[in-house]
Amino acid sequence: MTRGALQPMVSSELAQSAAPVSCFVCEAANTRNAEYCRRCGSPMALAHPTPGRTARPKMVAVLGPSGSGKTVYLGMLLDMLSRQPQRLEIVARGASSIGLQQTTVSALASCEFPARTGADPESWNWMHCEIHRHETTAAAGAPSLAERLVRAVPQNRRAAVKKDPGVELVVPDMAGEAILEEVEHPQTYPVVRAMLQNSAAAMLLIDAPELHRGQRDPDFAAMKILSCLKELELQDGTARRSRRPLALVFTKADQVEGCRENPEEFARMHAVGTWQHCRWELCDYAFFAAGVVGCCAWLEVRGEGRRRAPLRIEPHGIIEPFAWLLEKLHPQGRR
Amino acid sequence: MQKHQDKLRLAVIVLLCLLHIGFGLYARQMPLLICGAAGMVYAAVATVGLRHAARPAAAASPFSAPVVAAERPAEPSNTDALVRRMLAQSRHALLLRRKVVANLREDEFREACEQLHARMALVPEGDVVLRQADDEGEIADPPAAMSGRRVHVAPLFLDRYTVTNRQYSDFVAAGGYRDATLWDLQVWPAVPDLVDRTGQAGPAFWQQGRYLPGEEDLPVVGVSWYEAQAAARWMGKRLPTDAEWVKAACWPVATDGAAMIQRRYPWGDCLDRSRANLWGSGPDRVVAVTEFPTGASAGGVYQMVGNVWEWSASDLRLSANQAYGVVAPLKSIRGGAFDTYFDNQAACQFESGEYPWSRRHNIGFRCAVGACDLVLDLPQVGQEGRAEAEASECEAVPV
Repeated sequence: MTRGALQPMVSSELAQSAAPVSCFVCEAANTRNAEYCRRCGSPMALAHPTPGRTARPKMVAVLGPSGSGKTVYLGMLLDMLSRQPQRLEIVARGASSIGLQQTTVSALASCEFPARTGADPESWNWMHCEIHRHETTAAAGAPSLAERLVRAVPQNRRAAVKKDPGVELVVPDMAGEAILEEVEHPQTYPVVRAMLQNSAAAMLLIDAPELHRGQRDPDFAAMKILSCLKELELQDGTARRSRRPLALVFTKADQVEGCRENPEEFARMHAVGTWQHCRWELCDYAFFAAGVVGCCAWLEVRGEGRRRAPLRIEPHGIIEPFAWLLEKLHPQGRR
Repeated sequence: MQKHQDKLRLAVIVLLCLLHIGFGLYARQMPLLICGAAGMVYAAVATVGLRHAARPAAAASPFSAPVVAAERPAEPSNTDALVRRMLAQSRHALLLRRKVVANLREDEFREACEQLHARMALVPEGDVVLRQADDEGEIADPPAAMSGRRVHVAPLFLDRYTVTNRQYSDFVAAGGYRDATLWDLQVWPAVPDLVDRTGQAGPAFWQQGRYLPGEEDLPVVGVSWYEAQAAARWMGKRLPTDAEWVKAACWPVATDGAAMIQRRYPWGDCLDRSRANLWGSGPDRVVAVTEFPTGASAGGVYQMVGNVWEWSASDLRLSANQAYGVVAPLKSIRGGAFDTYFDNQAACQFESGEYPWSRRHNIGFRCAVGACDLVLDLPQVGQEGRAEAEASECEAVPV
């Protein structure tokens, strides 16, 4: 868990290293030199304060069963925000965040899907970033004066125009198996439990083509996760409905007719349990549809058998749910 | 005619029934009343049947012929009118076919040739190297001197622009979706399912059998491979093969050592996003086919990269050495679209695939015709020959 390193025999440094450091996710005490939390396995680098920032980063849980597209979604989100910073500008913090972007983009550009995220929390990638928004006019969609100024001003002078102090987010790319295991058998994965309990907002990814084919498993998995989220949020029993913002994203929506046009109607038709749960148990939720791959095909690989491959990458609906959650976490008018 | 006879027959039945009922009431004879009532019921059922038969066939059954909302143009009265109309419909390639060209006057022939050269670019004969995916599935960047599958391409004409909504509407209005000769026999039973948002025959995103206002110069999208093939046939053309498409885009040049120099993009080896409508470089939607003129290929073909993917006549084959193959039959598409994200997937050599029945928002097509299939010299048979050929040839031309 913690890689061995020689500690110099300097009394001040010894005293400093003996002082416990709280894990950012589960708040368990760890030694200063620990690389991962001894309790939950999250990287201790998250606990180190970002220079110039006093506010604690906000946690966002990206949830969903295995194969629902969490890694692809997060990797593409990071890359799209990096490449097209007109609306949202992102500053990635830490190698883990950039690693997630790199592995996803490299795989997809080569017409492959990234490898499945392992169940071991220490192998997960953590998206840790600072997001800045540019001022926009909410009504007509026309660029505001500030936005036009941002576009007009050269890159090296943009800092002078930006007014948004930004928000710091921590979003882990958790394994789907771990999420469902924790939901069904509490305390199996403390890091998942801590994320479900402490996250300021959540995003639930649901496989749209599976639902469209008539399979009920994605609906059941989503209902389990939603129940667990509510249970952990409302432990004191004072409130009846969850107030935590939740974006429900139907992934692979390009393969399903009608899903992109009206995701809520798709939920009503194909994920009735989830739709009912949202109506009765949640205050703040919205349905979205997203897709990354233009066409998927089964390839017969000699010696390996069949595997699915993305034949081209055409992302859509990736930024919208994230922007919606961001607005809930950090409303634009509130500074 | 048959419908009028049916109506007349019904009117006689109703009259007889009324007489039966009248006499029945007058004479208080129950059998007459029953006969009259039964006759009226029969007449009512028959009337409903007639109305049902008069409805559009598409509404009656999903497998019956769909209705084309656009007005079908009147049949031309003579060969002059037919040639005029075919030129207006950009069917110049059909007019220049060997069997048809003899019917043209000299001025008509010249006009057809002018239209051909204005709307299609000549791709000269020669070899082209098609890159294939390696064992890991990656399509490596093509070096200047390339290796790969070398294919010989015969000279051809390729559309300078992808087929627009306006051009495609001519095909729809001419009854292209009802003409079985334009479609492969095995797909013909499924053609009635190829309807727009309102259930009319046409591309998936049209309404009432028409494109939306202001979209006439946008490339037609929402068409399956079979629709593209049928429309190309109607124009007297065909879909280009993979090798033909890549040759037109990469513009290969043979060097001394028999190696080929091919461009990575139509304008050169470096991706210049200002020359193509790709993700992040355009308005995030399909644009008119004449836009991005600086991205044209050496032969003057527009938008070979970006805006919409283009159906090719070939099947998708990713692996040269059979290390892996595609399980379901897919058709090859080329060129990238307005939402293509990665630079390498917008390169001329990149090959993607799609199911032939898919009607996607970002796949269109352009047509090709072999130069050897056309007569480009002044034909010997002019006005004199027309009268003789008129009877036999013109009827063979699908209108």
